[in-house]
Amino acid sequence: MSHTVVETKALEKDYRMGGQHLRALKDISIRIAEGDFVAVMGPSGSGKSTFMNMIGCLDAPSRGQILLQGAALTQLSAAALAKVRNKYIGFVFQQFNLLPRTSALDNVLLPLLYNNTPRDEAKARAQACLQLVGLGDRLDHQPSQLSGGQQQRVAIARALVNDPALILADEPTGALDTETGLEVMQLLQQLHQQGKTIVLVTHESDIAAFASRQLLFKDGNLVSDRSSIPHSAAAELALLRQQRIKEVAE
Amino acid sequence: MNSLTLLQVAWVALRVNLLRSILTMLGIIIGVAAVIIMLALGAGARYDVDQQIKSLGGNVFVVFARGRFMGGAREASGSSQGLTEMDAQAIEQQISEVNVAAPTLRASGQLIYGNLNWAPEIHGVDNKIYTAQSWELAEGRSFSDTELASAGRVAVIGQTVKRELFGAADALGQTVRVNKMPVTVIGVLKGKGQNTQGNDQDDLIFMPLDTVRKRIAGMTLSSPKAVRSIIVQVTDERDMSIVEQQLDSLLRQRLRITDNQSGFSIRNLAEMVETRSQTMQIFNGLLAAVASVSLLVGGIGIMNIMLVSVTERTREIGLRMAVGAEPRIILKQFLVEAVLLCAMGGLIGLTLAVAVSLGLEHFAGFTAIIQPQVVVMSLGFSCLIGVFFGYYPATKAARMQPIEALRFE
Repeated sequence: MSHTVVETKALEKDYRMGGQHLRALKDISIRIAEGDFVAVMGPSGSGKSTFMNMIGCLDAPSRGQILLQGAALTQLSAAALAKVRNKYIGFVFQQFNLLPRTSALDNVLLPLLYNNTPRDEAKARAQACLQLVGLGDRLDHQPSQLSGGQQQRVAIARALVNDPALILADEPTGALDTETGLEVMQLLQQLHQQGKTIVLVTHESDIAAFASRQLLFKDGNLVSDRSSIPHSAAAELALLRQQRIKEVAE
Repeated sequence: MNSLTLLQVAWVALRVNLLRSILTMLGIIIGVAAVIIMLALGAGARYDVDQQIKSLGGNVFVVFARGRFMGGAREASGSSQGLTEMDAQAIEQQISEVNVAAPTLRASGQLIYGNLNWAPEIHGVDNKIYTAQSWELAEGRSFSDTELASAGRVAVIGQTVKRELFGAADALGQTVRVNKMPVTVIGVLKGKGQNTQGNDQDDLIFMPLDTVRKRIAGMTLSSPKAVRSIIVQVTDERDMSIVEQQLDSLLRQRLRITDNQSGFSIRNLAEMVETRSQTMQIFNGLLAAVASVSLLVGGIGIMNIMLVSVTERTREIGLRMAVGAEPRIILKQFLVEAVLLCAMGGLIGLTLAVAVSLGLEHFAGFTAIIQPQVVVMSLGFSCLIGVFFGYYPATKAARMQPIEALRFE
């Protein structure tokens, strides 16, 4: 049994909205091991985003426990949680969330600014990460000069730069067309093959199919947890492109 | 995150919104410039007054002969029992704190040279006037003893007189007519310029006392050695009040005045100038106070824009927190931005103030002095404004919850 990256024990979360209690998560106990590629699925309001916020240390649970790399996360101050996020977690968002009018390199450097990595080392690591996502020749480009897919790849490079234990991707293909969405999924699959632990939140089942394990949430409950043989994003991308060429030829 | 990185991050954030940053700074720029300019003009006016006092001599009394009441009717000033050259001698010899006592007479008359004419103040003096009023010769010489003793027809002229009558030509040795009497120019005084009241101090000529008394004024003076005033220079400024008392008693005794109807008055010119300048100082202080209100308004502008900026950059703040920025660092970042805005505004304001001060000096004839302590103070104060008015917006940023900030539309 491989090393556990994150584990939740009877995790619950309540929200108070206009005097009403809303239980967003109910008794969730999950273990995510090193090297897992987990897709968290469910319709909106199912609790999948709340779950992601919990294991991403962006929000504190109402009850229950989260263990990250074996250490309990409950009752940490905002500052301590910030440090945990910086060290262990890399975020990829639906809307990329890059700093505008800031070069790709500086965007990727951002997490390293907050842990006092020496400037030269930080720069080298940021460059390496951008090369890894295939943007080695666009270090100085600003987000407005990059396509959506490229922007998301910058965001992935930023998530990788601190070599985190867990990469959290929240609807990473939500703002992209099918082809670039497949490209991003291909990149995530490559990272997974290199041994990264990835948690992907999505409401699209064909995106979730690229992961090797699917969690399905409904009304705050975990309704299914199954492993599957992942589809290959590279294969689907190739197929899509072939079709495109045919269409053009006809 | 070290302070250099913080500064870089803040700099980038300000540069990204360049126009807005500049507009925000404008309040501070104008405030700082206004304060510095007002203080510079105040210091300049102070300097002018000091210079004038120095040129008058802060240690100088002027004793005027004054008409006395004789049976209820006041006699014309200087008409009888007036001051004489002997009084000046006595002052110099008997009051040990006195450095020099220069007797003077004043007359008016027309100077004619060729087809030009000019009407300066004509002063009858001896050579003590140079010490008493700090005059220096630009060229030529002062009066010889013979010229003084025999009412010589010679004159030392001021810069204005030289310019009006001779222009660039040589004045020395030339003969001018003073009320039709030919007089030889033997010397030219160095210029003193305007005093703070705007009077030209160089519009005068010096002639020997006897010459003025006998040949120009033609006054029916009670004594052959009568003078209008005596300029008394005290060696040490701290002895001014002692000398004033001694002058009073000595002259009362010499002029045989027993009642309160004094036949002379003693004036301290520096004191008079000082009094007049105080009004100006108060006015300048008031203007500087108004200017500092504009600095305060500039500070409120900074707070306003920082609040807008925090709201507008909520997602950025959320992202920074998500990738590991502690609330403390977010606080610092926005605080540094506010201080940087104010500091740069202060620097630009300072540059503007220097430019305006130089302009005022060159084109409007003001004296403006920017004192180093004013520079340090105003820059320090603008940074303080940044901290003060930046703190609330920065706290607002630091208190954000990362998930809510990330979701903010």
